[in-house]
Amino acid sequence: MSRKLPLALLTSLVLAYGLPLAAQANPPSLSLNGFGTLGVVHSSEDQADFVSSMLMPRGAGHTSDWSAEVDSRLGLQLTANLTPRLSSVVQVVTEQQYDGQFRPAIEWANINYDVTPDLSLRVGRVILPVFMNSEYRKVGYATPWIRPPLEVYRTIPVSSADGVDVSYRSHIASVTNTLRATYGQSDATFPYIDAAMDRATAEARAREGLTISNTVEQGSISLFAAYSHYRLSIEDFNPLFDAFRMFGPEGDAIAERYNVDGKTFEAISLGARYDPGNWFVMGEWTQTSSRTFLADNRGWYISGGYRLGAFTPYLTYASQRILSKTSTPGLSQPGSEPLDAMLNSMLQGQPQQESVSVGVRWDFSSNMAVKAQFDHMNHEGKSRGYLVNSQPGFEPGGSVNLFSLALDFVF
Amino acid sequence: MPSRLTKIGCNLLLGLASSLALADAVVVVSAQSPVSTLTRSELTDIYLGRTNRFPGGQPAMPVDQRENSPAYVAFYRNYLGQTPAQIKMHWSRLIFTGRGQPPRSLADHQAMADFVAEQATAIGYVDGAYIDERLRVVAID
Repeated sequence: MSRKLPLALLTSLVLAYGLPLAAQANPPSLSLNGFGTLGVVHSSEDQADFVSSMLMPRGAGHTSDWSAEVDSRLGLQLTANLTPRLSSVVQVVTEQQYDGQFRPAIEWANINYDVTPDLSLRVGRVILPVFMNSEYRKVGYATPWIRPPLEVYRTIPVSSADGVDVSYRSHIASVTNTLRATYGQSDATFPYIDAAMDRATAEARAREGLTISNTVEQGSISLFAAYSHYRLSIEDFNPLFDAFRMFGPEGDAIAERYNVDGKTFEAISLGARYDPGNWFVMGEWTQTSSRTFLADNRGWYISGGYRLGAFTPYLTYASQRILSKTSTPGLSQPGSEPLDAMLNSMLQGQPQQESVSVGVRWDFSSNMAVKAQFDHMNHEGKSRGYLVNSQPGFEPGGSVNLFSLALDFVF
Repeated sequence: MPSRLTKIGCNLLLGLASSLALADAVVVVSAQSPVSTLTRSELTDIYLGRTNRFPGGQPAMPVDQRENSPAYVAFYRNYLGQTPAQIKMHWSRLIFTGRGQPPRSLADHQAMADFVAEQATAIGYVDGAYIDERLRVVAID
């Protein structure tokens, strides 16, 4: 991640606001909280790696029989309540980065100002609320599962943006409505296999990103809807499309259709949760579209669980499908075969799968939970699903079983 | 007088709803507070951080007893229908998005009775034995 926040600015703001307040009746307070997951994953497929995010290069399967790199992470958060209205949050998360290393990265660092008790403004690195559980998607303790269903959550792996966030809460009878708008930009470095079959990384840049989300809560019911819109560029893939352009107008047309160079990317998400106490059921549906080689996707899941004392067994069904074409005739001109093949492999590289997961969460102590989960994933078409690092012996389009164990904690 | 009757009613209901050891968590506010009744969903919204106001518009400051103390467990089970683990999960969602902090935690029934009595905006829960003229029992519909 090359995203750098003006930390110096943040610190000076904290100091500037913090010092005069020391004399006030409500003294500024500083609190440190943390969360983490220690998890291991075993995959039945040993010719490729299962990863939990497209930003990770290494996982369970080929690289290691039992991988602790898929789900393990540690988050630390410093919250400064400077005045009753002004607060600041800095959260650092250590997890596997695009180069396979575990390194801390700044997840959020922002200053929050409550204009009224129900209207708040944030500036800095803020949350990107694209999905129902995305605000706490990295806090394993906060969700029933080992990891949020990838059929939805993998489609937008980035969870923060540098910019501003406005949140407005309103109360109508017993209904609480929270409307949120986020505007900003984010960069993410992701690993991929290049044309020479070597490991490479590329930088995805999202600009002019606008996310509008709304949450309605009443008693045990929660409904979520979000719309996101941004301009996406992956400049590392431009040379490929420049090569297409050398074939004249036909090549230009292909480049225009599939390149990722300031293209509009849109996502719509809907979610619902019902949790009366002894049991819960929740589901989400999301659809993404862009005129790029990244496929238009539709993903959804439904998940339910029943609480038996400290144990919560749960069951999830999830599916992700590609709505756009996964192949193209390409140029079909003499000499264009390698280019056509490259483009087709990129189109086909998008995941398409369905999965059934069954697991149990055990809240054995007040700050800790242990989870065990079994996932059966079916890859459809010639998809590799969420597997990376595939070896020559790998056959796409099959099914994979995963077994995961995790300890989640908060403090 | 009505508050006394309400208290007895609450205790009876709670006694039926739960085991005796955990029965006596009664919702209270300061006697200076105008609040006398809340619906279950209003109480839930206040304790889950969805609102920081009572239905009448006055500021509401929920307070808790120690996490996992019998009163804490009884309160969340009887009034919100949730286990301590669920409550912990709920607050971990808000804390790690910087959107809220759980209610302030007080040591025991006596500490809570004293705190709520002093703070006109506070709302808490105590064993029936700790109720005195400084506190008002809130009827939960």
